[in-house]
Amino acid sequence: MTNQSSVEKPKDLVVSQPPQITGTMSKTRIMNYTFVALMIITIVTAAMWWQVTTPTQSQMESFATAEITGFYAMPLGAILLINALIAVGVAVLSDFIIGKAAVDSEINTMSAAVFGLIVTLCYSLGLPGMARSVEVMPLQALSAPMCFIYVAIISFFGLVFFKKLQGGLLGRKYLNPAAAAKFIVLLPFLFSVFLTKEHWAAYNTTDASLGGLGMPQLASAIDKNMFGMYLQGCYSHPGSANPASLESVMLLTKFHGWPGGASSILVIIVGAVLIFLLRDYFKWKVTASYFGSVAVMSVIMTGIYGGDPMTRLLFELFIGSSIFLGFFMATDPATTPYTKTGQIIFGIGLGVLTVIIQTYMNFFGGALLALLIMNFTVPLLDRIGIHKPFGR
Amino acid sequence: MPYEHIKEVKDQARITPIEIFPDPKTAIVILDQHSGKPLSPLVAVGDSVAVGQKIADSKERISSPVHSPISGQVVNIGNIYNHCLETFTNAIFIETDCKRTKDKSLTPICEAELEKTKPADLLNIIHEAGIIGLGGAGFPTHIKLSPPAEFPIKNLVVNATEGEPYDTADERLLVEKTENILRGVNVIKRILGNPAVTIATKVSKVEAIPKLQEVFGNEPDIKIVAGHFKYQQGDASVLQKALFGYEPSPEKRSYESGCIVQNVATINAIADAVFAGEPLISRVVAFNGEIAQPKNLLVKIGTPISDIFSQNNIDMNDVRQVVVGGVMMGHAIPTTEAPITKRSSSIIPFSENNCKKEQKQTVCIHCSKCISACPVKLHPILIYNAIMAANMEKAEKLWNKDCIGCGTCTYVCPSRLPLASTIMASRY
Repeated sequence: MTNQSSVEKPKDLVVSQPPQITGTMSKTRIMNYTFVALMIITIVTAAMWWQVTTPTQSQMESFATAEITGFYAMPLGAILLINALIAVGVAVLSDFIIGKAAVDSEINTMSAAVFGLIVTLCYSLGLPGMARSVEVMPLQALSAPMCFIYVAIISFFGLVFFKKLQGGLLGRKYLNPAAAAKFIVLLPFLFSVFLTKEHWAAYNTTDASLGGLGMPQLASAIDKNMFGMYLQGCYSHPGSANPASLESVMLLTKFHGWPGGASSILVIIVGAVLIFLLRDYFKWKVTASYFGSVAVMSVIMTGIYGGDPMTRLLFELFIGSSIFLGFFMATDPATTPYTKTGQIIFGIGLGVLTVIIQTYMNFFGGALLALLIMNFTVPLLDRIGIHKPFGR
Repeated sequence: MPYEHIKEVKDQARITPIEIFPDPKTAIVILDQHSGKPLSPLVAVGDSVAVGQKIADSKERISSPVHSPISGQVVNIGNIYNHCLETFTNAIFIETDCKRTKDKSLTPICEAELEKTKPADLLNIIHEAGIIGLGGAGFPTHIKLSPPAEFPIKNLVVNATEGEPYDTADERLLVEKTENILRGVNVIKRILGNPAVTIATKVSKVEAIPKLQEVFGNEPDIKIVAGHFKYQQGDASVLQKALFGYEPSPEKRSYESGCIVQNVATINAIADAVFAGEPLISRVVAFNGEIAQPKNLLVKIGTPISDIFSQNNIDMNDVRQVVVGGVMMGHAIPTTEAPITKRSSSIIPFSENNCKKEQKQTVCIHCSKCISACPVKLHPILIYNAIMAANMEKAEKLWNKDCIGCGTCTYVCPSRLPLASTIMASRY
């Protein structure tokens, strides 16, 4: 037909739809960045917590009368690292097995590893400094070796049911896997221990002979000294005689609670760098509106109940669960809304609910429950804020 | 709104002067290169044709004829791959007689007569010369330049932004054919009744800007805007927003906003047609991509793409993908036997390592980056989900028809979902 120079083609040309080039950001890259960010928090926290033995010697002695079996006095930093290894290991392994066994499932190692680290960092560790001869049961979970078992269960449960099955069966993830797994696994524990009358009686008294921790009521005027002392006792170095100042505890170093929020400043720095690196791939609007509404709500609560506004603000913003969840859990892309307006409403709702739960249920770490509640609103929020396109 | 930055790969190509590519032995002129009504051939197998002879036309208004790029004999009328329509369509195969006899049916006018020539006559020359939008859309230019009388055109925008990351053909025209482009602008000004002219170009076109200032600087009513335009702002409506601040409605015809945006290459072709009597039988094609020496070639329309590879001594064993018309909006062609068309602004080969492979579809991670990156403020992922659920009603409610096909959403997607192509396919 034509006598054009026919070039020999051993292979067919690859045909593909435009665009023919892709951007530099991929799922794996987002996961890698997040993993490194969480690793930095884990390692820095572990180093910071290495100086603390939990339970401390004096605490061990005060438990002498109670059933203390199972308490290991080892560096808190070491417990955290072992926790991380267990959680990441269980998650990655479960992901691998499911990926191999189920045909329609893909192996997503980095995503599983990130999940494992989040499980680790939102699992409370460390005995509060003032914890003395109270019932041992609830405190056991905060220390080795019980925490290893819990973390392994949460990691396995979360990966299998909330990461893999949720996406596979429902088409999309509704609940934040780490939050949902932690909540479900610790729910029986919560009911049997934290919500019993005896518990409240003990916790609401300051009388040490009754084992009281003097847990303050947030739905009342906050006394700077009382509440401040409570927070200092709770979060400062359990071994030291002079507790650190309230500001230093809330902003720099906490030795109890979510490892992810042990140092608020660290989370803010790492979070800011991650937002800078990922930019629009990170749902920073949720973070911003969350902290904004927490601040506003805590001012409103001060307006209602009186007391020192600064102490309440420091508590609501920088408690470990609040600061870590605001940056790393509430921004989980899969369980947050698509639209800008939706993300802002999500963040505001989360902040408002967090403060309400913490104030009226005295459930410190209420952000976790608030997140799960807000997760259910995501399909609705996805319909809000559909902006008109260009020129319409 | 910040537009997504897309890295340009044109350092070498943008400084390489336009080179005249030899005439092909066999030219394959595709009939339907424009967007509009199909053409029928005016010649039969065995006929002799001259350079610039009209060989196919249609009586329909929205159409544009094609011309023979070489002189010789029609040897076949058959199917060939047409990258404009992504399918095999009818084409006229012409074998050269090496004589280059010229067809003179298009009468040029001299520049001094321009002010006396009626716009209708100018439009007729543009129509007869087969000029269509060379930026990629391929809409017949004579239709675009004849808006209804009730819509006076206040602004003419010369689109010299050329955002496609590998394309440099327009940039070289700006440098080498600046005076010709000015002549073309004067023709359009005469047709549209002296609108104000804005030349929109990018600061990165460092060689072109001084040339433009030198040639256009003293002209009244001509403004040169060298901005930090992003790829997405090369689109006519998005560019109007950048220049004048308003958002033209996608429901209305382009002239209703009182502004017409013309591509540089089209304006160059208009000048050639009106003042030299040359129909559109060649165009500048950027030959960029994974090759040692990127080039800008003045190629006869109908030249088989394989000729470009063989003349440049490129081993086809190294080439696994050939993209025509820009990496963002152009298609990868299945065969290099396909010819150059009026819309082939660039030929971009890729090797095995860098070609876009069929990627495994993964699930959306809800990062919502496509929503913030869309230059026309659509919700690509929501439209995509609606299409995938076969809910076309919902897709339309989300304005899927407003998509300009720029490909930014697919480019930014970390899950590599084929958002843009799926949405574009759903528009018809």
